[in-house]
Order: sequence, then structure tokens, then C-alpha cells
Amino acid sequence: MSVETIENLKRAILDYDSERAAAMARKAVEEKIAPTEAMGAMTEAIRQVGDAFGTGELFLPDLVGAADALTAATPIIDEELERVGSTKQSLGSAVVGTVFGDIHTIGKTMVATLLTAEGFVVNDLGINVTAEEFVQGVKKYQPDILAMSALMTMTAPEQRKVIENLRKEGLRDKVKIMVGGGAITQEFADNIGADGYDPTAPGAVKLARRLAGR
Amino acid sequence: MAGRGFTRNFKPLEILTEEQVEAIHKGTLEVLWVTGVRMEHEGALKLLEKNGCKVDYHELRVRIPPALVEECLRKTPSSFHARARDSKNSLMVGGNTLCLGVAPGQQTVDLQTWEPRVATRKEDYDGVTILDALPTVHFFSPYTPYFGFEGVPSCMAMLESLAARIRNSTKFQCVGFSDNSEIFAIRMAQAAGIEILGTCAWAPPLAVYRDAIESTLRFAKAGLPLRIVSGQVMGGTAPATIAGGIVTNNAEVIAALVLAQLVSPGTRILVKDFSSSMNMNTGAPNFGGIESCLHNAASNQVFRKYGVPIDNSTAYPNSKMPDFQSSYEKSFRLLVAALSGASTLLFHGSVHGELSHHPVQAILDDDVAGMVGRFMEGITVDDETLAIDLIEQVGPIPGHFLNREHTRKWWKREQFVPRSADRLTYPEWINTGKKGCLDYARQRMEEILATHKPTPLTPGQEEDVERVLEEARRYYREKGLISDDEMATYRESMQSPDYPYG
Repeated sequence: MSVETIENLKRAILDYDSERAAAMARKAVEEKIAPTEAMGAMTEAIRQVGDAFGTGELFLPDLVGAADALTAATPIIDEELERVGSTKQSLGSAVVGTVFGDIHTIGKTMVATLLTAEGFVVNDLGINVTAEEFVQGVKKYQPDILAMSALMTMTAPEQRKVIENLRKEGLRDKVKIMVGGGAITQEFADNIGADGYDPTAPGAVKLARRLAGR
Repeated sequence: MAGRGFTRNFKPLEILTEEQVEAIHKGTLEVLWVTGVRMEHEGALKLLEKNGCKVDYHELRVRIPPALVEECLRKTPSSFHARARDSKNSLMVGGNTLCLGVAPGQQTVDLQTWEPRVATRKEDYDGVTILDALPTVHFFSPYTPYFGFEGVPSCMAMLESLAARIRNSTKFQCVGFSDNSEIFAIRMAQAAGIEILGTCAWAPPLAVYRDAIESTLRFAKAGLPLRIVSGQVMGGTAPATIAGGIVTNNAEVIAALVLAQLVSPGTRILVKDFSSSMNMNTGAPNFGGIESCLHNAASNQVFRKYGVPIDNSTAYPNSKMPDFQSSYEKSFRLLVAALSGASTLLFHGSVHGELSHHPVQAILDDDVAGMVGRFMEGITVDDETLAIDLIEQVGPIPGHFLNREHTRKWWKREQFVPRSADRLTYPEWINTGKKGCLDYARQRMEEILATHKPTPLTPGQEEDVERVLEEARRYYREKGLISDDEMATYRESMQSPDYPYG
């Protein structure tokens, strides 16, 4: 029974079916399947999609579809993990977001999804995130990585502001900061004191692994 | 010649049936009335509510009734004229006219490596001079040639760009908006005695932010023309289907059109069809995709029915340098726009998407634009051009046409002679160093810079433009958008001998 449920949970993510993924996650909880096992299956599914995206067999709508299904199931398993006092196995944790004034979501979502696929625990703060909200996010989640996106030349300076605010709060050295987006260059990243930059989402994942020392 | 654009002397290409046009129109009305759009501006929402729209102030959502949409479409002029510094360069929008504008780039490119880098102030000013000289550039769009240049803080980029264009060109000018820059742009235009085309830009799907609405209200109230742009990416911020993309694009631009017509009935409006498909590997827009051409052609047909002028946005290539890919991406977009009845299109100078621009590319584009402009003129068919009598006089070989008055009179009218194309024979080409169009374009760029002297502003106008810039600098300093360090760099950039205005 439990093997079938685990398989169905994985299948639901591979079918990009959020509703079924959530239902299977609830069923896994009901059947007292170890939440670490359920989480393992979910991570395996998203990794398969991430890998196929990396090789060009699957495309962004697939990646985002799988990410949505994963997001639907995750809180249910998270709650169970907490209840049984177990911790998530992960490569590390990341807080991601698109800076204030910028509402471009796609690049940021790609990075968040691929980081999740790689095995990071990701907290996505969304778009139009103020410097204050980024600082709060870092305080709350204490991530290994802070990843910020800015597509527009006008909003890129917000990344500098976030780094300055983290410095003022004494948090700068507690997190590795990576920046990306259409408006960002390596020169800009160096200039604002970020720890890393990559122009592509798969490259950002490699960078995150390196920065997190994994 | 410049501002008048090209005239299409034949029927426009129609790719939709009447039923399909009607289905798109009905779909648009349904989205506007049932789904509605998000408008982050209480004043605008109140005005819309007063005129029969349903407003949800919590969600900032407005639903616009079909009758109001149709009434406002009717109030929008089907063609208009907008005044440039030199009246013969004034913009003519609508009817059978296609006007081509400058395509912007964030940065310039290095002509050896083709890598992008920030332009200098001199490169920006020189760029404007070259574009002023090109006969097929009918107007300048915002942020052209470059989004910004060395030393200029980002909040001043829009206004510094406009000042460079007003100073170095008598052609028609457009502006964008950011942090109230349009207030100063309007003042600068008044100082130079010109009209400018403002911008309202949506954040698709179906949302528009406060800044864009403020810009809309300011231009409508000032009696100036306005272009309304969405910038959707099909598959991401719009449906993946072209028909669905047209519906959401329509809903977005028409919602702002309704607002502008309520503020000031008869406001001159140019709706913009800026739609790309999404690259499903990277998430970036496929700027050079043929899908955008289909979107343009169909939208042109729909807006022709509405009687509202339409811009086909920008012939941005995905290529990184002027090569085979770049030329087909740009040329398809231009030709489809020209054949299917676009009123305007941004064409000249973009090297890769909106990320880079170079005058050499603009010079190459001048030839393509000239070819398409010539095509739009079509063919004259009358007794003289049919030349039946002449054919009878010349007869079969050994007769020929080269020595005839008819040839001397007509060949220059019939042929378009490109300025940068390689049209040599093999021996000539080998003996002259195997030059290609790019070499000729670079040569032409040097010639233009050496010889073309744009008409300057009067000393009084010049003083006023610089005064408005100073006001804007003070305003942004007080707003905290220019730091002390940035201001010092900025002031230093104005001390250059290439910049006699500071």
C-alpha cells in the first residue's frame, strides 16, 4: 500500500498535477509513511524534471508545472516532519526573491525550482520584495544562500541596498549572496559586494552549491 | 521626407476572416467586463466608476462595460499629426502611412568583439546625430539610442536621453516614464516648442502600476499624444496561443485607452502591439520569433476595424551581431508590419533585443527600411510605365533600352539603391578588399559624423532645456535618488569638451 502511495505521489509531480500531489501527500500521512520517505520521493521527482530540463528534453512549462505540484504537497509533508520531530534532509537552504520595483517572476522562479530540484530548501519571497523584507527573510530562515533577481536596469540598485541593509544589521557575513537577472553583470555583482553571479538558472544552481560548500 | 513616413499604395494583408476579427473583439469585451484589469490608482478607478465601470477597491480591479469600450474606441482619432521641431519632420500616424522609429538598446557594442558595454555621453550624442541624418528614421522612441550613458544616474537617464535628442535632431520625439520624469519631459518639450508622445506601460497580465497611470493622466491632461504598451510574453504573461495573446493585449491597451478618453476626449493614441513568445528553455522573450509577426498582422487588422492607429513595437533580433539571423529577424518583422498596415514600428539600430544598439546597425537598417518603403509604394501602371510605344520602337535585339530618355527618367524612380549593400562583381569585390555591407556601413557612419550638422536649438531654447534638466537633478537629489558620489561623477561627466551645455 505505502509503496503505491509513494509512487503515486512521485507520479503526481511528474504529471504536474497539484491536486493529486496534495491528495497523495495527505494519503501518505494517513498511511503513516515516514515523512522523510515521502519528501525523498518528491525530491526525486523534481530532480528528474530538473535534469530533463537541463538536457533540453523538458521545458519551462514542465519545470513550473512540477514545481507547483511540489509546492502543493510540501506543506503537508513539512507539517508531518515537524509533528514527528524529524528534520528535512537538504543540501542547504536558500531565500530567493525579485527586488523591489521589479515584478519579473520567471527567472526567479526558475532558479527557485532548480535549487529545490537540486536538494536545497527554498523560501521564495516572491516579487517586488523590499530591502526590509529581504532582511526579515534572512533573519527568519537563516539561509545559507540569499538569491536576488532584477531584470531591469532601474531596479538593479535595489540589490546593493539589500546588501547594505544586511551589513547594517550585522547579517552580511552570515549568508552567501548571489545575484542575477537581465540587468546584472559580473562587474555589477562585484561592485555591490555580492558573493556570486551567474547569467543562467542552471549556472546559478552550481554557484549555490559552491557558495554553500556542497 | 523624414517625418512623413512611407505610404502603402495597395490593400493591406489580412490574415483573419471577419468572423475571427469579431471573435477577438468579443473576447476582448468579455475579458474587460468579466475579468477586468488591475489598476493601482484610486483616482483613475474613481473616474472609471463614475463612468459606469464596476470597481473593486480592495483588489484595485476595474471591470469596463462593452458600451463604454466601444464609445471610447470611437472617440479615439483614427489618424493624427504630432509636431516636431522641424514641421516637415512632424509625425503622421494612421491611414496608409508607416513611420519607422529608432529601436533602443541598453548599451552600445564594441565593433571588434560585439560585446556590450555602457555608452559614453559622446557616443550617445553622436548616435543621435547619425540617426538624425538617416532618411528612413522618421522619429525617435524613448531611451534612444541608449537607455543611459556613462556618468548619468539611472533616474536621470530618460531626461538626459531626451535632451540629447532634442538638441541633436529636429525629428519627432517620444518619452517613457519613471519616478515622475514625464513632468520634466513635458516641460522640456514646451521649452523646445515641440509635442512629445508619452507612454503608458502595462505589467501583463492585466495589471498597470501607479507610475504608468500617472503618466497617462499627465499626457491626456496636457493634450499630448500617448502610446499604450503592454509587452506581454506569450506562454508567460499571456496565453501561449496568439489569439489569446491578442485578447489580453487588447484588453490591457484598451483599458488605458478608455481612461485617457475619459480624462480628455479625443486624446491622440497609438496602441502598441509588443508581444513575444517565450523561449521555453530560458524564459527570455523570443524577440525575433515569427509568432510576433502573426500577432502584429492580426492585431493590425483588428485595430483597423477599431479605427485606432497601431504600433508594431520593435524589430528586435535575437542575434548578437548584424549577421544572417539578425537580418532575417528584423526584415520579416518590418515587412509583415508594412504589408499588414502598422502605423509605426521601431526598427533602426537594435543589435540584440533591447540590450544593445549601434549606429552601424542603424545604417544597415536604413537600407532595409528603404527597400521596404519602396515596396510599399507599389507599382505605377499607366501608358507611360507600360511603355508599349517604346517597346514597339526598340523591338527585338539588337534594340535595347539603355539609351532611351524613358530609362533615364524612370530607373531612379523604380529602383531603390541601397547605400551599404555590396553589389560588385567578383573581380571588383576581390580587387577592393572583399568589403561587405558592414564595411560600407562603417564608412558611411564616418562620413555622416564628418559632414552632418544637426540644426541646433536657439540659445534661448537651449538655456531652457538645461534649466529643466537642472530642476530634475535637484528634484531627484532631494528625493534621495542621486547620492553625493553619483552627483560628483555626474557633474564630472558634464565637464567634457564634448558636452558644451553643462
